[in-house]
Amino acid sequence: MSKRSRANAPHPRQEPRIPGPLSLARLEEVFTDCVDFTKREVYLHGDNQRKAVVCYIDGQARSERLNDYVLRPLAQDPMLATAPEGQLFDLMERGALYAHGAKRETELDSVVLALIDGSCALFLEDRDDALVFPVATEEKRSVGEPENEPALKGARDSFVESLRTNTSLVRRRLRAPELKIREHIVGRQSLTPVDVLWLDGIADPDTVALLEGRLDEIDIDGVEAAGNLEEYLVDTAKTPFPLMPYTQRPDRFCQGLLEGRVGLFADGIPLGWLVPGTIDQFFKTGQDRAYHWMTACALSLIRWLCALITLLTPGLYIALVTFHPEAIPSKLALSIVAAKQEVPFSTIFEVLIMLLAFEVIQEAGLRLPGPIGATVSILGGLVVGNAAVEAHIVSPAVLIAVAIAGVAGYTMPSQDLGNALRLWRFLLAILASLGGLTWLALGCAGLIYHLAGLESFGVAYLAPFTTGTRVPRGHPSLFRLPLPMMKWRDGAVKTRNRRNQR
Amino acid sequence: MKIFPVLLTAVLLTGCSGLPAAREMGDMALLRTLGVDRGAAGVEVTGSTGPQAKGLQAEGESSLVLSADDDTLSAACLAMQGQSDSFVFFGYVDQLLLGETLAEQGVTPVLDYAARNTELGLGARLWLIRDGSARDAIQAGGQEGIEKRLETLRADGKMGITSLTRTAGEVYTDLLERGCAFVPALSPAGDGTAQLTQRGYGVLKGDTLAGFLEGDEARGLELLAGGPTGHILTVGSTSVKTTSAHTKSRLEFQGEMPSLLRLTCRIEARLTEYDRRPQGEELRALMTAAEEQERACIQRALTRLQELEADCAGLGAQAAMYCPAQWQRGQGDWPRGFSQIPIEIEVQVAIQT
Repeated sequence: MSKRSRANAPHPRQEPRIPGPLSLARLEEVFTDCVDFTKREVYLHGDNQRKAVVCYIDGQARSERLNDYVLRPLAQDPMLATAPEGQLFDLMERGALYAHGAKRETELDSVVLALIDGSCALFLEDRDDALVFPVATEEKRSVGEPENEPALKGARDSFVESLRTNTSLVRRRLRAPELKIREHIVGRQSLTPVDVLWLDGIADPDTVALLEGRLDEIDIDGVEAAGNLEEYLVDTAKTPFPLMPYTQRPDRFCQGLLEGRVGLFADGIPLGWLVPGTIDQFFKTGQDRAYHWMTACALSLIRWLCALITLLTPGLYIALVTFHPEAIPSKLALSIVAAKQEVPFSTIFEVLIMLLAFEVIQEAGLRLPGPIGATVSILGGLVVGNAAVEAHIVSPAVLIAVAIAGVAGYTMPSQDLGNALRLWRFLLAILASLGGLTWLALGCAGLIYHLAGLESFGVAYLAPFTTGTRVPRGHPSLFRLPLPMMKWRDGAVKTRNRRNQR
Repeated sequence: MKIFPVLLTAVLLTGCSGLPAAREMGDMALLRTLGVDRGAAGVEVTGSTGPQAKGLQAEGESSLVLSADDDTLSAACLAMQGQSDSFVFFGYVDQLLLGETLAEQGVTPVLDYAARNTELGLGARLWLIRDGSARDAIQAGGQEGIEKRLETLRADGKMGITSLTRTAGEVYTDLLERGCAFVPALSPAGDGTAQLTQRGYGVLKGDTLAGFLEGDEARGLELLAGGPTGHILTVGSTSVKTTSAHTKSRLEFQGEMPSLLRLTCRIEARLTEYDRRPQGEELRALMTAAEEQERACIQRALTRLQELEADCAGLGAQAAMYCPAQWQRGQGDWPRGFSQIPIEIEVQVAIQT
């Protein structure tokens, strides 16, 4: 193997990360050039013959806890000065120090990771082990409102970046001891804790095992973005459609767990994923169960209809105006002809350019700070659009068709699904410009074929619309029935307990 | 890569050997009205776009009228393409005018062409131009075109205010099934307020024009066909407006031959003008007078249709539903039988007070 090939070959993960026996000197060696590593020598009750060394990472450990729970007892407890040296560690481990946890460690690797997590390590002279006390700081963003999923009628808390806060938000809603939480560490450099949550007896154990297996398989540098997990966990990355629904809302997350799905949290990411993901999940909102069922039904239907509108409107416009004008009602045709007469570009070019312009304006609005972004959107959408129409660069009908498609796309509760539909909208528009309704229909067939081939953790992506798979269905996906009638969990998620109410 | 066989199968299943050609709508002249006459060379075709909206402010542009004369209909239509600087598109033709001379010669070639033409189709309203040609009728519209007038006639006919309107498909079906059909007739002479005036109905027998029904005869035909309702009956100082009419026909047989055609026409009407609201005997007398008037209209229409040997209201076919076996045996002789059969007419008028 050449030198270059060797350099590009996968590096095996080193376990343990820092091999070798534990000692203070080795610990200091590990944290060389780490300005935040702090070491403090303490005389036990002022006895200079009895010294202890406390190590911690400044900023990770909380000063008040370190002072009150560890350093103060070490300096003031007379028992520590009189007790036999052989019993000191036992005394400290069992209550002489006031920290809520204490663990004796003999491996350097464990101590290093504990310090990084915010613990402090206490060394005594002539001993090859250390006591680790959790004194981590809890500086974090407070629980706020879910900005991406606002609630008009429901809970207003949302997940934050702290993993343990998120699990506690779930635990407060699902108090049953059957809620299980198992932790995995992902990322060679980030060592990010990732928690898997499920309701024992409801969720499918095979799905839990599959998710945990895939988590353990992930060998990356760090989990800095949601994609760092999603793209490694999904069955295939060759689709723009999201396969792992996520939410910021604890109530929605808990509802997913109650439906038999398996939850996933990653430290530092204020989201909770629910697997397996089926297409109907991306059309549901946190408010569906809060509104009256008739309203929720109507809104759900509108969302599905909008998905078709955003997907098909530009393609249909191109196909009808360019290839099949006879299918347009006479009066509408006359209006289109009138508006089109002084426009120099072809309809295909007009629509594709307008679609592109729409994306550009949207992207510009997103990248700028809020007030400026809104101004750019208004300026781009109204002023430029109107000016383009008045200058006969585009026809008003095209502008309306593209705007309808764009606005309909904003009704998607899932931004990921909306993005996938945007990509397919372009593709269908291009196909329609090649062969009219024939190619548009072929594109739609291709889309259905693509969706039918997708799976999420062993569950068909189109499971809500499949029949004959011998999997008992749940409830209609397009409608939301009255809750007393929704007695069944969806069989497609392979729940072990289908009935959800008396 | 399994998608490719699926796509290929889907393409083959479309049954299309070629994809449609792309055309910009801005470069099209959308014909709204098409007139066909007997021409010097064979067939004369006249097409009109109606007033064209141009630009964003939809400033009206005068109607574009194209005309071509050739030995066949398709050749004439093709010749029209060359007369315009835009692509002439026939997909929006919703009014088809037939000249009287062409109708005397035969309308089947025109209807057959429309049926086979993918753009034209049989959905257009069919009108017969009396005492003139279709070209005259179209040109009578001038810069404004006649599209608006024809559209109004169609809408009024649907509401029962003016004559019955018929699509080319309905007429073609009647000709194929019954051997006769009626078509609303228009005259380009104009009455000072409109470019085209209604002139009753033309009766096509076989595929040629057999004659016209006008006035009371036309009214009788409308009642037989269960058509328009907006008719005012005046009895003394009282007026009633008919709101609906429905005619049922039954055949009586003597042996294998039909011996009597019994018609029952039920008409509903409401009072429109009166000095004193009629009640009791007065109302009964009013209904009897109205029945007499309507019976007279139906009688005139039937007399004329029997003269023409054209059951274009489909009375025989309707009666046949009660005696299909006997009808099947005598169906072939029905046009002649219709001209000779005694007809018993019963008219019932119900007036809402």
